[in-house]
Amino acid sequence: MGTENPGRPNFPMRPSFTPFASAPPTVRPFSPSGPGTGSESSNFRPIPPGAPPTMTPFSAAGPSPPVRFSDPSVPSAPIASVPPSGAPYQRFPTPPFPSAAQAPPNRAPPMGQPPFQPPAGQISVPPPFFRPQTQVLPVPMGSPPQNANFPPSSMNVPQPPTDSSLSGPRPNFQPPFPGYPSKQPAVSQAPSPFPAQQGSFMPPPASPSPFPSQQGSYGPPPVSATLGYQSRDQMQHPGSAPPTGGVQRLTEDFSSLSVQSIPGTNDPGLDNRSLPRPLDGDVVPSSFLEMYPMNCDPRYLRLTTAAIPNSQSLVARWHLPLGAVVCPLAEAPEGEEVPVINFASTGIIRCRRCRTYVNPYVTFTDAGRKWRCNICSLLNDVPGEYFANLDATGRRIDLDQRPELIKGSVEFVAPTEYMVRPPMPPLYFFLIDVSISAVRSGMIEVVAETIRSCLDELPGFPRTQIGFITYDSTVHFYNMKSSLTQPQMMVVSDLDDIFVPLPDDLLVNFSESRNVVETFLDSLPSMFQDNVNVESAFGPALKAAFMVMSQLGGKLLIFQNSLPSLGVGRLKLRGDDLRVYGTDEEHILRLPEDPFYKQMAADLTKYQIGVNIYAFSDKYTDIASLGTLAKYTGGQVYYYPSFRSGIHGDKLRHELARDLTRETAWEAVMRIRCGKGIRFTSYHGNFMLRSTDLLALPTVDCDKAYAMQLSLEETLLTTQTVYFQVALLYTASCGERRIRVYTAAAPVVTDLGEMYRQADTGAIFSLFSRLAIEKTLTGKLEDARNSLQLMLVKALREYRNLYSVQHRLGARMIYPESLKFLCLYGLALFKSVPLKGGYADVQLDERCAAGFTMMALPVKKLLKLLYPSLIRIDEYLLKPSAQADDFKNIMKRLPLVSENLDSRGLYIYDDGFRFVIWFGRMVSPDIAKNLLGPDFAAELSRVTLTEHDNEMSRRLMKILKKLRESDPSYYQLPYLVRQGEQPREGLLLLVNLIEDQMGGTTGYANWITLIHRQVQQN
Amino acid sequence: MVKMTMIARVTDGLPLAEGLDDGRDLADAEMYKQQVKALFKNLSKGHNEASRMSIETGPYVFHYIIEGRVCYLTMCDRAYPKKLAFQYLEDLKNEFERVNGSQIETAARPYAFIKFDTFIQKTKKLYLDTRTQRNIAKLNDELYEVHQIMTRNVQEVLGVGEKLDQVSQMSSRLTSESRMYADKARDLNRQALIRKWAPVAIVLGVVFLLFWVKTKLW
Repeated sequence: MGTENPGRPNFPMRPSFTPFASAPPTVRPFSPSGPGTGSESSNFRPIPPGAPPTMTPFSAAGPSPPVRFSDPSVPSAPIASVPPSGAPYQRFPTPPFPSAAQAPPNRAPPMGQPPFQPPAGQISVPPPFFRPQTQVLPVPMGSPPQNANFPPSSMNVPQPPTDSSLSGPRPNFQPPFPGYPSKQPAVSQAPSPFPAQQGSFMPPPASPSPFPSQQGSYGPPPVSATLGYQSRDQMQHPGSAPPTGGVQRLTEDFSSLSVQSIPGTNDPGLDNRSLPRPLDGDVVPSSFLEMYPMNCDPRYLRLTTAAIPNSQSLVARWHLPLGAVVCPLAEAPEGEEVPVINFASTGIIRCRRCRTYVNPYVTFTDAGRKWRCNICSLLNDVPGEYFANLDATGRRIDLDQRPELIKGSVEFVAPTEYMVRPPMPPLYFFLIDVSISAVRSGMIEVVAETIRSCLDELPGFPRTQIGFITYDSTVHFYNMKSSLTQPQMMVVSDLDDIFVPLPDDLLVNFSESRNVVETFLDSLPSMFQDNVNVESAFGPALKAAFMVMSQLGGKLLIFQNSLPSLGVGRLKLRGDDLRVYGTDEEHILRLPEDPFYKQMAADLTKYQIGVNIYAFSDKYTDIASLGTLAKYTGGQVYYYPSFRSGIHGDKLRHELARDLTRETAWEAVMRIRCGKGIRFTSYHGNFMLRSTDLLALPTVDCDKAYAMQLSLEETLLTTQTVYFQVALLYTASCGERRIRVYTAAAPVVTDLGEMYRQADTGAIFSLFSRLAIEKTLTGKLEDARNSLQLMLVKALREYRNLYSVQHRLGARMIYPESLKFLCLYGLALFKSVPLKGGYADVQLDERCAAGFTMMALPVKKLLKLLYPSLIRIDEYLLKPSAQADDFKNIMKRLPLVSENLDSRGLYIYDDGFRFVIWFGRMVSPDIAKNLLGPDFAAELSRVTLTEHDNEMSRRLMKILKKLRESDPSYYQLPYLVRQGEQPREGLLLLVNLIEDQMGGTTGYANWITLIHRQVQQN
Repeated sequence: MVKMTMIARVTDGLPLAEGLDDGRDLADAEMYKQQVKALFKNLSKGHNEASRMSIETGPYVFHYIIEGRVCYLTMCDRAYPKKLAFQYLEDLKNEFERVNGSQIETAARPYAFIKFDTFIQKTKKLYLDTRTQRNIAKLNDELYEVHQIMTRNVQEVLGVGEKLDQVSQMSSRLTSESRMYADKARDLNRQALIRKWAPVAIVLGVVFLLFWVKTKLW
């Protein structure tokens, strides 16, 4: 068996449940021997286990196993002792069947489940666990009603030999198979009982006739993983499964940490090194795609758990957020682009009732004349042009020419009905503060330079429109008519009643007016270099820009350098007062002060204008108010505190260039649909909600993600699978209107344990952080942190109750393998900029800016920010010759503990937004000299990192470049810091070593202890 | 002055291009756009064969030309010289055919040639002012004959469909009303029957009653 069917191939087995449960007849076509099945399976793609129930999974199972199996000479069972199963079946008396018949209902939900992680992969599964289990066993045997539940667990026994380490111990577990207690006198006497259990496993609702064929398909019994899961599944059946036998499961289920702190001491009693750390970054759980291979890629849509609870009581017990994170335009790697489909005259095929787009999970019936919507199960007619015959298995014969029927991510070309107006051209409008502080910081120069260098790369040539307004105490408009040689400046000083001095030509077609635009950008820095105006008429300028843009919409980039001081939207210095913190007024500082901003944001969204804010001031600029504009228009806030062009220029240059040149979707709306019985209730991110479930996104790009929470509408879900469909209707820069559609399916489960097993830490924290940040806008920071902690504790306690009570785990802390980083990320979120500390820890503006940024970050980027990487590089720099593969070696991330900082080393800390390069006190002077040039001994805050003419410096630059390339959405500016250089070292690095105990915050080990203690206090 | 410009394929009414920021200072631009769309739909059904036509609508006039199965349509003020409007459309047509001529038949998505809007925008500006030397010269140019172009009213044009609607509406009203009439007639019939026989029945009833009373008393 092991040789025939190693590892993955086990999979196909799973689907075989479905037919039994839902459509027994489908079984028939698959005679174990048929070559026909072979051909089917070949065009079926390997994955089908995940296919919807009606798809005939048998073909998927592939002909080979059954064939082999029917040949009695091939030993089927995983363990050598198991005889061919064919014979045993006959031998079996009828009893197995009845008991089997009871089984199917239990088994129903699990269909399509992925295998859960092989136990081998789990951390610290102490062997002692096995022992207690044998003691437990007798219990199930005694109670006959449980029998039905148990057979599946038997499937664990035939552990695939691939897992050599575990196959040994496994046989010990046989006793739990209660299916045939009488037949299993002893642990070691496995052979014959085994097949028997398989027999019992058969759910056949039907008569014995299908039996042989099933036998064939079941033959390779080993699917230990998947089946094992089922055993778990039974667990939840109310009352059906006593905890017994659980230990075995337990070992597969979760990881544990022994936390034995001595009360009263500070010593957590934890081995710091053994704590789980996400040193590999964001790991996307693979189960999502494995279960339902036709699902869209997780880079677009991630669920916080890939197992949807079937009842509200289960939801209530799942204390973590339940929902999804959507990154609608995530960048796809080469070769995986989303296929574009044009239905032309047919029109886009959608469900009549729920408006779901046609997708791989719809089923065709009635000889191909009708299709059943997978979301609302309404039977729709297939339009004449879209008709295709069905083959014997009920699949359309033109399947391979219809990407929308086999792929979870597709893009449709939208017909006229999806347009309220012709597709708009890409439009960039710049609103630039030219008051004295802006001039002094050098921001204007960098901005003008960057825009000019990006002109060629602006998307949408030749339709791209462009325009500028500058402002100080007055608002300056620029006529860029193509026939002019130089732009004409018009100054409007009436701020109370702002008007646009010219109907046209303030917004021009860039390809026509290119010369004028270039002249303007060249002269912009010098035009205002002597400006001494300190005022900023931000509100009126914004209104003017709105008036100019309102016809077309587009992207508005605002460069703001001081607190808006004139006209509408005037803001005042709101005291970021220590005394406010800890009171009920605290959150007001983090909310927009003037309703003008929210009102303006609503208007801007209505006219399809997206705002990106670039803020530069060294003083308070009230990002909380300014950021509101970005928040409700699907934009982004870039914050460069105390901007100096010499230092931060590169960062601004890169990020502005990225903002201007990345692929952008215009005038978009997004909706996520889901199956009956569940509903998305709240949405989190930067957007405006147009109706209850329609997100208005004037501009979207690959760096934006949106999170949403899910709730159950009905008390009990009866379906076995839920489907989700995200649809983003947008105008591409090329002027095409398109609909991006992502479809995903997830199983409905009845077991809390399964939900934990399928949990996705990344998505959970994406949602978590958004909830927490929103909480800081309505309450105290303290409260937000407490509620976060409470959620973690509740979730872990629930999990503990699920397993530990009956297993006497005592002082061990247990958590699901899938959520092993739950505590760490929780701690990181606790210490993240928007949430951490109080008055003194973070500047108010910085806190707000970080909050706005984190509300939009995609999962991967967020996790990097929460748990940044720390890399030691001095060894690599000193190595005489560098090979390419060396690079991978040095990219080894270290835990964020200050103990890891060796004073002889050189480290890079990278949180995705900046680098901190840390020089140990005893780092070899060579390195410092080579990297920093002659002034290596100077104070590092005054030194900027530039490339010097030596190998070492070049290598460092190469490393930085590589790190930056891995994620281009933000530019990481290097900060240099030397060990012991206070307070710089503390501010830049030590504060961010989140596992350390710093100031009033807890360290990782202590945090675990704390959480553990709270978990235990029921 | 040109208010809006639309280009569509006649065979199926698929819009191909449209002027940028059309209808900027028009109060009810949407309504006119709807009219244009209805007009295109009519054209694709084979109504209005004339290849050049002016259609009055409110204070404005639609001018269109159909050439190579593409309809070029613009909306102008009534006062705007017809001659210039058609010149404008000719200009658009020439350029459009030159740039996109080969792909018109194969275009499968709406606004496939939206890039053309920049040209529309540019040309529109040339025709904005009727008093420029260039436009006056064009006006005086007798080569271009516009007098024979028919002018109709938009209600008339769009009315073809509307009238059909009306007829069907009327006929359906007729059926429903005739059904009502039938019902009423039946009702009347019954009433007449009652009126005819009721006295007889009453008399008979009284007679029987009397008989009954008589037998009872005796």
